[in-house]
Amino acid sequence: MGRIIGGIGTSHAPSIAHAYDRNLQRDPLWAPLFDGYVPVRRWLDAQQPDALVVVYNDHMNRFFFDAYPTFALGVGAVHPQADEGWGKRPFPDLRGDSHLSWHIARSLVADEFDPTICQEMSIDHGILSVLPMLTDTTWPTPVIPIAVNVIQHPLPTARRLYKLGLALRRAVESYERDIRVVVISTGGLSHQLHGERFGMVNPEWDNEFLTQIESNPEAVAELSHDDFMLRGGAESVEMILWIAMRTALGRQVRRVHRNYCAPLITGYGLLALASDDSSTS
Amino acid sequence: MDQGHKPDCQIPGTYVLTGERSQLGYRLNKMCMSLTDPANRAEFLADEAGYMRRNGLSEDEIAMVLRRDWAAMTRSGGSIYLMLKIAGTIGQTLLQVGAQMRGETLEQFMATRPGHKDH
Repeated sequence: MGRIIGGIGTSHAPSIAHAYDRNLQRDPLWAPLFDGYVPVRRWLDAQQPDALVVVYNDHMNRFFFDAYPTFALGVGAVHPQADEGWGKRPFPDLRGDSHLSWHIARSLVADEFDPTICQEMSIDHGILSVLPMLTDTTWPTPVIPIAVNVIQHPLPTARRLYKLGLALRRAVESYERDIRVVVISTGGLSHQLHGERFGMVNPEWDNEFLTQIESNPEAVAELSHDDFMLRGGAESVEMILWIAMRTALGRQVRRVHRNYCAPLITGYGLLALASDDSSTS
Repeated sequence: MDQGHKPDCQIPGTYVLTGERSQLGYRLNKMCMSLTDPANRAEFLADEAGYMRRNGLSEDEIAMVLRRDWAAMTRSGGSIYLMLKIAGTIGQTLLQVGAQMRGETLEQFMATRPGHKDH
């Protein structure tokens, strides 16, 4: 059977990709962000996972409002990069794992989750702004992308993401092969990108969230979208995606690393958690 | 328990992309989406108004884009993620877009950022 060995929650942002591409890792503004990924990368390398299941959101690159899925699962053998409107970055296509993806599709649907199944799933900064800090950019580990609507209301609830994580755990554990999986959720933290409230950041709430998601995910799963938007800005509602990562890990976890900084218009959060092997699922 | 956005939850300076707002901004957003194609970006840059007219935008919507009025586009149902495709095409940054929506210059906005002081 498959096993979920750990999880990573991370912000995603075009600004991260921008700083990375300009080699600003040592820049005083950006070092507090990039330094956080170093121990997480070291841990992930040591784990040698067979697959990364990534819960993220697309930003109007793969999907448009003509038909907008609440949940979407990529099943392709490769996932090309999306052109977000300013050209592609010099990376190869992401590798997928169709066999595992289809298993997850069957398991989720049997579990009453009904994602749109995508044989073509181009990937934007929701994954690609952070993956270069987490793995080699030859993309040695297959990625199973799960996109969630956090843009056009009505959105799935925080409670729904809680259940998605549990369903992903059941999916991995019912796989016929002995694989080791890391679940990554990307999004947030506090930010608002539109209106007169543009640029609002709430470090106090972000740090409380990082604590809660690790130790008490039930509490954040009870929050409404309005709770998230009031505390962290309209676009921070992406934070609900982290809940799926956390509940996929089971009850007991060990913190590998936590990092936070908020230099400009968003709180950049990072949290890596190892599943506790002694816990029962 | 209903955890969704409540229509009576008013957040100042915020335009939640509800179904109603998304329908209002559909044509504008669809035109923006077309700019993920490099050929369309070139066509847009060659004749912005003509490109938008061919994509079915109203004269009001075209005027908002031509004067880079991101605040007005937002009120008209524009999604920030789609408006950013116009910004990327014409070479404006998210920070410039944001400052305009706040009614500030970029310099005024950057002065409010904690990380900017020691940058």
